[in-house]
Amino acid sequence: MTFLEKQTDPTTPMHWNGDMQADYFYSNGVAGDKFFKHLMKKDTFLASECPKCGVIFIPPRLYCEDCFCDIPDENWMEVKSQGIIRANTTAMIDAHGDPLEEPVIMALIDIDETDGAMLGRVKTEILDMDLCGLTVKAVLRPKNEREGTMKDILYYEPY
Amino acid sequence: MNDVAVIGAGMTVFQRRLKETGKELSYLATKMALEEAGITKKDIDMVVMGSAPDAFDGIHQKGENLLDGAAGAGKPYVRVFNGGGTGVFAPIAGWWHVASGVADIALVVCEEKMGNCYPHPQTAFRHIWDPILDRPLAPNLVWLFAMEMNRYMTKYNIKKEDIARVAVKNKRNAVGHPCAQLPDEKITIEDVLNSEMMAWPVQRLDISPPSDGASALIFCSKDKVRQFTDDPVWVDGVGWNIDSTMWTNRDLSFPRYVANAARMAYKMAGIHNPRKEIDFAEPYDPFDYKELHHMEGLLLCNKGEAPILTREGVTERDGNMPMCPSGGLMGVGNPIAATMGQKICELYWQLAGKAGKRQIPTDPQVGVGQAWGDIMQMATVAVLRRG
Ligand SMILES: [Zn+2]
Repeated sequence: MTFLEKQTDPTTPMHWNGDMQADYFYSNGVAGDKFFKHLMKKDTFLASECPKCGVIFIPPRLYCEDCFCDIPDENWMEVKSQGIIRANTTAMIDAHGDPLEEPVIMALIDIDETDGAMLGRVKTEILDMDLCGLTVKAVLRPKNEREGTMKDILYYEPY
Repeated sequence: MNDVAVIGAGMTVFQRRLKETGKELSYLATKMALEEAGITKKDIDMVVMGSAPDAFDGIHQKGENLLDGAAGAGKPYVRVFNGGGTGVFAPIAGWWHVASGVADIALVVCEEKMGNCYPHPQTAFRHIWDPILDRPLAPNLVWLFAMEMNRYMTKYNIKKEDIARVAVKNKRNAVGHPCAQLPDEKITIEDVLNSEMMAWPVQRLDISPPSDGASALIFCSKDKVRQFTDDPVWVDGVGWNIDSTMWTNRDLSFPRYVANAARMAYKMAGIHNPRKEIDFAEPYDPFDYKELHHMEGLLLCNKGEAPILTREGVTERDGNMPMCPSGGLMGVGNPIAATMGQKICELYWQLAGKAGKRQIPTDPQVGVGQAWGDIMQMATVAVLRRG
């Protein structure tokens, strides 16, 4: 059996306890505002298409990182909030290494009609660990509870 | 551009938490490198510090805090930093100090003290994500790599046991390393496959441990190198490349940023056929699958072929193309930037015939080292050659 490194007591050497307290407001940005304002009213996503190379970005962006050009308003489009799982994990532990009460399925979902993917949580009755290729759709908060953040997308489920 | 040689290297023991402060660790590694090169602080023209996020040590602008331990006080000194890529990027920066002619002798020191971050250094990684799109979903780094590992396994139909082989090989390779945190002569594939499931398909023994440690390296111009050695090890090529943080738009099965960095380094080194012209490699292995991923990114085999070559023994220390003869991050430990010790110092020690019990038996002449960092983004590559 091998040595399983988990946690050693960090208080063993003589030490002083400190923190680096700082709190933040992160603005959504211009593209983010547009995406989330749309999501507060509709059950679809917004994407944006580069006028030069034709790549369709989701989450939508103001510019193409390759062509390095603007993506004008007329190149924004509405797409269905659904797609196919490209990769997933079933997490048993949290960021501290402690067990989760319930496993969390997180997936990268290729969104239909776009060239991009969204990161999201998945809920399903399927017991397989590997969910690659599964078609899923977003389950959103009730409209009157949406606040204009990623948390408005509760999770994705198979359809 | 001036030719640049390596004349000394040093490395502290790696451990989950060491009593020494970051600057004390830097001092220990620097002292070893100076002694190996046979020089003192006054011979050093310039110093480069490599250290990853401030949040690990818990000191904002930690480069300034560390400098006196890195022989940097009163000298031209700069800290470079690109996450996990730092361990190879810092020596690249040291190389250009000398290649440009600005310095004759440059010292590179890499330090990381992850044990300061409480209760676990993973906490610091929670803040590297895009604050609008990713962080509200509360992902953590292990989950992200689990998805990448899944994608790699799915695309090339790779079995978990063929990935676990890398953990076994590297932990066994680390047995001869005096700095190693997790060497294990007796570890088996079953041990890895039976270890705790963290985030499917990633298990406890698929991951390198967080660590405290430091490493150091000294570069010298061609004009001065004969004062120190008759058998120098040269830096033949360097490369670096980065993709955007919009990682969700990338395929994840192949690290194209590694291939871009490798092509840059090989071109500089005059290498046309890396599979034939490179004798061994130190690909970055914070996870076992990453060694395979990076071996492919370094163009040392076809896509999806690395697990097969590993199964056939090609990447063992006495195989045709040894990978991570140091024991890598999986066996020696992962104090982020300080892994310069396995990725570049090891190339120097192997090529100079100073690797002791870890010495590759086939008299290697050319080695490539690589690091990777950020969210599936950054690659740093260096090619070293003997004589
Ligand atoms: Zn474009």
